Amino acid sequence: MTTTTPDLTAAAPGGAPAPPPRRRRTGGGLGRYILVRALLIIPTVFILVTTVFVLMRTTGDPITAALGGRLTQAQLQERIAEAGYDRPLWDQYVDYLGGILRGDFGTTLSDRRLVTDVLTDFGAATLELVFYALIVAFLVGIPLGLVAAYFRDKWGDAVLRIFAILCYATPVFFAGLLLKLVFARWLGWLPVAGRASTSTEIEMQVIDNPSGIYLIDAIRTGDPAIISDVLQHAVLPAVALGLLTAGVFLRLVRTNVIGTLGSGYVEAARSRGVGEVRLLRKHAYRPALIPIITVIGMQIALLLGGAVLTETTFEWKGLGFQLAEYLQARDFVAVQGLVAILALIVALSNFIVDVLAALIDPRVRY
Amino acid sequence: MTSVSRHSRRLAVTAGVAVTALALAACSGGGDEGNEDDGSTGGGGSLTIGTTDKITTLDPAGSYDNGSFAVMNQVFPFLLNTPLGSPDVEPDIAESAEFTAPTEYTVKLKPGLKFANGNDLTASDVKFTFDRQIAINDPNGPASLLYNLDSTEVVDDETVVFNLKSENDQVFPQILSSPVGPIVDEDVFSADALTPDQEIVDGNAFAGPYVITSYDMNNLLSYEANPAYEGLLGEPKTEKVNVKYYAEASNLKLDISEGNIDVAFRSLSATDIEDLRSDEDVQVVDGPGGEIRYIVFNFDTQPYGAGTPDADEAKALAVRQAVASLIDRQELADQVYKGTYTPLYSFVPAGLTGATEVLKDLYGDGEGGPDVDAATQLLADAGVTTPVELSLQYSNDHYGPSSGDEYALIKDQLESSGLFSVDLQTTEWVQYSEDRTADVYPAYQLGWFPDYSDADNYLTPFFLVENFLGNHYENQDVNDMILAQASTADEGERTALIEDIQAAVAEDLSTVPYLQGAQVAVVGADVEGTQDTLDPSFKFRYGALSKG
Repeated sequence: MTTTTPDLTAAAPGGAPAPPPRRRRTGGGLGRYILVRALLIIPTVFILVTTVFVLMRTTGDPITAALGGRLTQAQLQERIAEAGYDRPLWDQYVDYLGGILRGDFGTTLSDRRLVTDVLTDFGAATLELVFYALIVAFLVGIPLGLVAAYFRDKWGDAVLRIFAILCYATPVFFAGLLLKLVFARWLGWLPVAGRASTSTEIEMQVIDNPSGIYLIDAIRTGDPAIISDVLQHAVLPAVALGLLTAGVFLRLVRTNVIGTLGSGYVEAARSRGVGEVRLLRKHAYRPALIPIITVIGMQIALLLGGAVLTETTFEWKGLGFQLAEYLQARDFVAVQGLVAILALIVALSNFIVDVLAALIDPRVRY
Repeated sequence: MTSVSRHSRRLAVTAGVAVTALALAACSGGGDEGNEDDGSTGGGGSLTIGTTDKITTLDPAGSYDNGSFAVMNQVFPFLLNTPLGSPDVEPDIAESAEFTAPTEYTVKLKPGLKFANGNDLTASDVKFTFDRQIAINDPNGPASLLYNLDSTEVVDDETVVFNLKSENDQVFPQILSSPVGPIVDEDVFSADALTPDQEIVDGNAFAGPYVITSYDMNNLLSYEANPAYEGLLGEPKTEKVNVKYYAEASNLKLDISEGNIDVAFRSLSATDIEDLRSDEDVQVVDGPGGEIRYIVFNFDTQPYGAGTPDADEAKALAVRQAVASLIDRQELADQVYKGTYTPLYSFVPAGLTGATEVLKDLYGDGEGGPDVDAATQLLADAGVTTPVELSLQYSNDHYGPSSGDEYALIKDQLESSGLFSVDLQTTEWVQYSEDRTADVYPAYQLGWFPDYSDADNYLTPFFLVENFLGNHYENQDVNDMILAQASTADEGERTALIEDIQAAVAEDLSTVPYLQGAQVAVVGADVEGTQDTLDPSFKFRYGALSKG
């Protein structure tokens, strides 16, 4: 077969050497991509915190919300004035933004803690839960997605697709309650709630500078019983939250694997006699995983949202649990601060995921 | 491609390790949270208590709630306190406490008192404690209880004088045992701002029966007996106590029924308590409670009230009396609260000095039950046309999830007599609080948890001419008697006055009290001493508990 592609390096008419071909600029390199993505965080966070501020203020001032019914009108007005909530909304908004820029997300009304302290006190628990949930999502979603793709349009595929829909359509608190009922109450295999049993928490008090991530702290005690106890407590919350994302991963992997199985290079391999299982494992599987990386950013937002319900269902005392407590106490300063921080975390994790995706798949940055 | 495969491999390894660990853990045994050497099963002087209460702050100037006060009762000393089993106060870390002039209450401390951190506990700390309460005046704090305190003076290291605004205030000793009374260390606490919990714990600024050795707010607290405590309550029976904080009462129930904790106190649901009563592995211990529930009548807007077009004082009174005669308290206690509340027949709850059952004699069948005939007669005698249209309000979010059932039953009790047609409505608490004092509700639900365990706390806030109900009830005789009891030093004379006040208010029926909360603790079969601390002081003392 002859090629018809012109030789771009051939000499120009007249014999003068042709200039080297100019590479077509298609949006810049990795540095430019990262810079653009980093700059996009600013408007994203700005819009998010502004939305949070506006939504919170539409329900009135935080002092009345938290203390209304417990103080007289005169006392309420005094407190509102003290906190500056009687000033024009615009002034409050400017102060709020200024505070966020200084890293001051406010002080909770109900227990007078800095919102940033709430983040450091409870963030580790949420991080631990999200980590476990991602593991569950990977372990369930990816292999089952491969299986579904392998059995494309057969009954196995249909069952798995229904399973995937159920995973992400079932409210996480319902899945949690169901898991508790079956595995904790009926079968008695796993604990109902909490991050560890009381006895374990007492044992772990001896650790200096605990990390707040129970698995790490449990490992530091060196006691297998404590590690086992911590892991047992993690199973049900991790599964409840992880299945939410596993369903998304399953469908994504299935679609991508089916796509790659039909691509030219796979066809070429197939024509060389490579078996279907090997095709799936060696040729179709890895490229199909790349989109997973890109959706993890969005899944982190989903997981953090789900963590509020999962943590409440399982008494997992993390940020989500605390957010629910503050909502119940009508502590809107705390809620506003925590939601703003969570928004920031989601924006940053999306940025990191985008950068990772760009590193792994150069096509992303062009 | 290389980076992808390396990344995937790393991910797979991490995930594999984690899932293997999870799976092993899941398979390694189920659900038994007990640990052989933990507080719940270790014996030899340790106990684990579970609760759904929450701590707002450990600083006595910044909290006025059950969860925070429960901690304060264990770790801070009081000048005066209630001994186990009694609602009446006695010197705690004080050697003596008495009126040395009509407006001077002098307290002499025991000599050589110390905080657990080694700091001396002197009269200066006492003055500091009360001065900072007034200076901080936190809206979530109890500073308002010091309404009668003018100033505090240090006479010497062991003597302090409280200068009061009004003379012979018999309630003041009780106030010293209330949430405003914990004595704090002036070297650790801030004089004009709330002190963070961790600073209090790190400063070991405790001088009560226990000290806090580990503090994980609203999750797990560990206490150890304080050898330096020289107060009224004596040496704790249990050396180490851990308190686990639950978000869900259902999880608290599960842990007490499975023996993972030794004591569950506040707040299991009525259904859970009823269920646990038949569990042989636990004991359900009941004690008198200070919380009461009552219906308030607005004297201006109730049927035939002073502000209505057909105002008639006699008819309005007959309506209130008929309601008092028709409410079946026992049915409410049994059906709605499964015995976790008990019928209340007066304004001062049973267990407190001076409490009577005056409503039992005056209304209903005379034995505490309802009586439709009596109610019919009362309305007929006053010329009230029946059925009376009564608008009744309750809060759906402030007094627990059973309020709906409670008021549905009250409506049914009133309407089944044929004498009332009840328009039952509910409002969310913030709005409710504004509306009730703005004369919006003719009759409405309220509850009360005492600031201190004295009859005065169930009379003064409600029945003075200027009262917090704002329901336009005015009875100058009642007003004068309330003021008189508050300054009557003679115990017998004061008790008689308290009884007279209840009798007078029962005639007027500014409110109709109907339920009194019980304190209920569920404890392991081997736990002793619970009954001793479920007393009318409404303070749950961990030091009274032990495991057999």
